[in-house]
Amino acid sequence: MNIIEIKDLTKVYDAKTIPVYALNGVDLAFREGEFTSIVGPSGSGKTTLLNLMGGLDTPGSGEIVIDHTDITRLKSRKLIEFRLRNIGFVFQSFNLIPVLTTKENVEFIMQLQGVDKAKRDHRTLELLASVGLGDKINVRPNKLSGGQQQRVAVARALASKPKFILADEPTANLDSKSAENLLEIMEKLNREENITFIFSTHDPRVVAKARRVITLEDGKISGDITKN
Amino acid sequence: MIFKIAFKNVWRNKVRSLIVIAAVTLGLAGGIFTASIITGMVEQKIRTGINNEVSHIQLHHPAFLRNYESRYVIPDAAAVAARISKMASVKALCSRTRITGMAASPNAAAGIQIVGVDPEQEKQVSTLHLAIPDSCGSYFTGTRKNQVVISHKLADKLKIRLKSKIVIRFQNTDGNLTEAAFSVSGIFQTANTAFDETNVFVRKHDLDQITGSDNGIQEIAVMLLDIDNIPVAEAALKSMLPGLDVENWMEIRPDMGMISSAIAIEVYVILGIILFALAFGIINTMLMIVFERTHELGMLMAVGMSKSRVFRMIMMETIFLTTIGGVIGMSLSVALVAWFQRYGIDMSSVSKGLGAFGFDPKIYPFISTKFYINLTVMILCTGILSAVGPARKALKMNPVEAIRVE
Repeated sequence: MNIIEIKDLTKVYDAKTIPVYALNGVDLAFREGEFTSIVGPSGSGKTTLLNLMGGLDTPGSGEIVIDHTDITRLKSRKLIEFRLRNIGFVFQSFNLIPVLTTKENVEFIMQLQGVDKAKRDHRTLELLASVGLGDKINVRPNKLSGGQQQRVAVARALASKPKFILADEPTANLDSKSAENLLEIMEKLNREENITFIFSTHDPRVVAKARRVITLEDGKISGDITKN
Repeated sequence: MIFKIAFKNVWRNKVRSLIVIAAVTLGLAGGIFTASIITGMVEQKIRTGINNEVSHIQLHHPAFLRNYESRYVIPDAAAVAARISKMASVKALCSRTRITGMAASPNAAAGIQIVGVDPEQEKQVSTLHLAIPDSCGSYFTGTRKNQVVISHKLADKLKIRLKSKIVIRFQNTDGNLTEAAFSVSGIFQTANTAFDETNVFVRKHDLDQITGSDNGIQEIAVMLLDIDNIPVAEAALKSMLPGLDVENWMEIRPDMGMISSAIAIEVYVILGIILFALAFGIINTMLMIVFERTHELGMLMAVGMSKSRVFRMIMMETIFLTTIGGVIGMSLSVALVAWFQRYGIDMSSVSKGLGAFGFDPKIYPFISTKFYINLTVMILCTGILSAVGPARKALKMNPVEAIRVE
């Protein structure tokens, strides 16, 4: 069953002067449990595609249907609420809240959702343990390594029980060991809990682990390979 | 949660936050202390004026205050005084004879108001007897006749001293010119030069004996248990005694009333200006903070933090900064005011100038609890209004663009 369906998606920048087609009539679908990377040269539209799928940006035309909801038709407030409950994000720069501890950063999302304290505490500890940071719950981000911060970001993305997680260049700022570590955790979560990961990446290690590789060039799909 | 994040964010850059808090603290403490000095000076002037000169309420014959003609006496003054003294809100009252006259010494003469008093009754209402230093005599002690208590100012003018003789001339209630010699038994000094120059005090009994008849009572002065009861007591007296002129101290001395009202507004204006200036500093700091955290705010909106929550977070950070400085500033000012209220600020080097305006040379600062409550509201409003601009700036951010900012 498809959890994301993208139909004829187009995004144009500077439409009135010199139009730049960041995306040009893209059609895509993603199933539950995918571990997919979107690759392509700089300016191919990878980040634009991820931003549109995450409801952070609005397309010029086309549809993005996530779990039977066309998010392109949602008003701003509803879109924020939809993102909170359905989509997880892992950014290139870890983007943890520096004044909160590891535990607080993860449970922050559940607090936004209104989850009660007992459930929040239980799930937070569970998530941090699943990313190997069960012993770092009361540590602030500035005391963690880059790899550890990114793992906290993954735990935070999972906290809202999203339909899928969008990861924009998640290994870009990590050393090879940390990147490998992070990918193993994501792969494990994908395998054991059927969590859908969609990456935008230049990293060949991520591409190697992905079971589906979508190639973008000049805003169009130039390749879509599913590995056996 | 927003509360917690906002409070923690305040301390993210401790130095910057402490500078803003220090600015608010010192600005407020300085402003409040200045206001307390001004209020204290005025309160002292009013208190001295009430205690030494006008009391809380005065009653006169309706025609008396036009020209201060002594023939306009309060009819049946004793009965009137008895009725007034039964009122629960009345602390004490005294009946006075008031006659315009002239005081003359071998060297000079001066126009005066002769105030004929019952000294024991007068001491219950007026504190003038406390304004006579030990070295300057006393307030009608002994049984010697024709004692007069005058001011230092008048003594200088007439070039006389304690125990000197002066001749007091006046017209009695029948219109007959009378004069008698009086001996200066006490010399007082208040902060009100104008009062000191014109008023002399004698025993009413001595006046009546000189004229051979009762000179009547031209004035009844009333002191209440609580100054806040003046409106109610005044209304009750007017109702009880419709044939008399009943006035409170603000009506008798409109200059004192006007100063009191003006100062009440002025202190708020001073603090308002200080808060207005501080607000610019707070707005500048918060705008810097929003700008520095563009990337983080974009991330928060991306992961699902609503714009209203982002707005509230920035608002709360601003309010925290302002309120922390406000609380410390007010606490510091409470300590300062309490200290100087106890020991006073000695301004004797400029006592002549202060005295000309009726102010004591030693100032005791004063600020009411109501002022602090109102100031707390003003501080909160400053925080809220300062927060609006930076919070709106945060709201206008596009999450996609904000996340790209390093």
